[in-house]
Amino acid sequence: MDETVNSRILGLGHNLPERVVTNQDLTRVMDTSDEWIQQRTGILERRFISEDTGGSELGAHAAREALRSAGVAAADLDLIILGSLSPDVDFPGTASFLQRNLGLRGMPVMDVRNQCSGFIYMLAVADKFIRTGGARHVLVVGAEIHSTGIDLSTVGREVAVIFGDGAAAAVLGPETDRRRGILSTHLHSEGRFAEKLMVEAPSSRVRPRVTEDMLDRPGSRLWPRMEGRYVFKHAVTRFPEVIHEALAANGYTVADLDLLIPHQANLRISQLVAMGLELPEEKVFNNIQRYGNTTAASIPIALHEAVQEGRVKPGALVCLAAFGAGFTWGAALMRW
Amino acid sequence: MPASAVLGCGRHLPAQSVTSDELARDLGTSGARLTEATGVARRHRASEGQGPSHLGREASLDALARAGLAASDVDLIVFATMTPDIAFPGSGCFLQHQLGCRTVGALDVRAQCAGFLFALATADRFVRAGAAERVLVVGAEVHSTALDYSPRAAAVTPYFGDGAGAVVLGAAREPGVLAAVLHSDPEGLERFWCEFPASRHYPARMTGEAYRAGRHYYQLDAARVHTQARETLAGVTREVLERAGVPADRVALFLVHYLDARVAHAAAEDARLPRERIVATAEGAGHMAAAGIPIALADALAAGRVQRGDLVCCAAFGAGMSWGGALLRL
Repeated sequence: MDETVNSRILGLGHNLPERVVTNQDLTRVMDTSDEWIQQRTGILERRFISEDTGGSELGAHAAREALRSAGVAAADLDLIILGSLSPDVDFPGTASFLQRNLGLRGMPVMDVRNQCSGFIYMLAVADKFIRTGGARHVLVVGAEIHSTGIDLSTVGREVAVIFGDGAAAAVLGPETDRRRGILSTHLHSEGRFAEKLMVEAPSSRVRPRVTEDMLDRPGSRLWPRMEGRYVFKHAVTRFPEVIHEALAANGYTVADLDLLIPHQANLRISQLVAMGLELPEEKVFNNIQRYGNTTAASIPIALHEAVQEGRVKPGALVCLAAFGAGFTWGAALMRW
Repeated sequence: MPASAVLGCGRHLPAQSVTSDELARDLGTSGARLTEATGVARRHRASEGQGPSHLGREASLDALARAGLAASDVDLIVFATMTPDIAFPGSGCFLQHQLGCRTVGALDVRAQCAGFLFALATADRFVRAGAAERVLVVGAEVHSTALDYSPRAAAVTPYFGDGAGAVVLGAAREPGVLAAVLHSDPEGLERFWCEFPASRHYPARMTGEAYRAGRHYYQLDAARVHTQARETLAGVTREVLERAGVPADRVALFLVHYLDARVAHAAAEDARLPRERIVATAEGAGHMAAAGIPIALADALAAGRVQRGDLVCCAAFGAGMSWGGALLRL
């Protein structure tokens, strides 16, 4: 038998709630405008759930599609990893609910809690298990339900307009050709800035950790807080840095890159990063215009759409890169 | 392919401890009855403002010192907790900053009570793949701020304690992680869970109704979970020994990790493990979920109960339901 040297994405899927929320829709609940949102973020619309729905449910739809496309039976999965910052319940992790929704039992499941960089962190974990023979087929799912935890009043508008709900899945398997599949992954963190973009509650540092002031009302500690200026400034530095790191580790330069898929945090960040790297528009994939920031789900949604649109040709050199809360950031370089 | 081995173990328990007698008044019963119901007489409690990252920092410094390494030598952090410092970002990020590590990856994993074994198996794969040389694997919990201090929780709250453990895993010629097996089965997961805040709940993840009903506290159907735990812990211990091809009599110490120490001992008995070589991780200071195994490992080393070169078999079972086993050569 040939020796596994790399892991490779065998199939992708994504799933979004049907309800479309346009910028115009948001102007009915908060003081904002389509122009203001577009100018700052590039977002035109996003999806919100409209009834009780877990990330594990959107994730199960996405996972089934990814498994079909990979030609892998669900029962042949050796490991399931789910990334989210908006878990279905407090514990256990959302991966357990995903496992149940897929009708599976036996294989290990775990959550990865790395915010916007979640998909890169999960790919890194899946890749190391596969490369070392610890697993053959790994399901990786990014799933977020932001809409139940954002302040949709004028007070919270700066953060609330950014986020959307959604999920996407990738099935990874072994690759014997060392020039193909995931070539390397690169992970970073800098906790000095942890409080620049966070949801504080529930916080096990606070006794008791759940209190009435957390309920769905202005000032809730359940809602995200962001110092946008800091996040923006660090993002436009760390993105190019880690993209260069991934390319250099494999002896490539930006000129070799066929497609960059950045985490969809903000279209203005993606544009600045592309400009700084001197990447032409056709070599960067963005779809935040339609979905907003779906954190751990954003890269696989974008990758799947890029593949569906024929933007990722066999043999293409593709870089996935993320930056976000933590701060955490990372990149994965792959040969499609 | 490089192997990974345990370079150092550390632990930290907060100074303040709480006896069952002290819990008894709030829980509407006597200390003796609480101890009898859960097998735990005393547990530690983090001080105000301390999260798992703070406890994890102390445990990490202990583990690094014993490994003869500095924080700057760490090239990946894997942090397991079910009681994170804040909702996000993860506790690993806070630890990275508190230790002054370089801007290394800080992976936060969630697999509840078995979380440490999931984190350890993950770290082992990074080292074997050559993607990291020295990984700091931390399990840390602050349960005390999450618990219900009212009579309805008398059969749940006394089980849990706060604490942290850490292991430095590093590249080595001789493998130290001889086998690791991990499993999950979501059947009946609501028998041990904490529902709220629940992002899946439309339109808001926390409601007054859920709050007043106490649905933000741990719910535990102890009788049914104990039954599953006993069977599973015995089974996974056999499985990991078989995977490693090592007979039980060559193992110096068995760490059996479960909420109820008496159930852990019963499982060990079912697996016919030698009684004098068993540690139920919850028997000292209560159940510390992701922290239980590395604390017990550090304690056993510090007490001279095991030495370098000895085999230690770990088994864990908990919420999810997720469980696992690992055979280590120290």
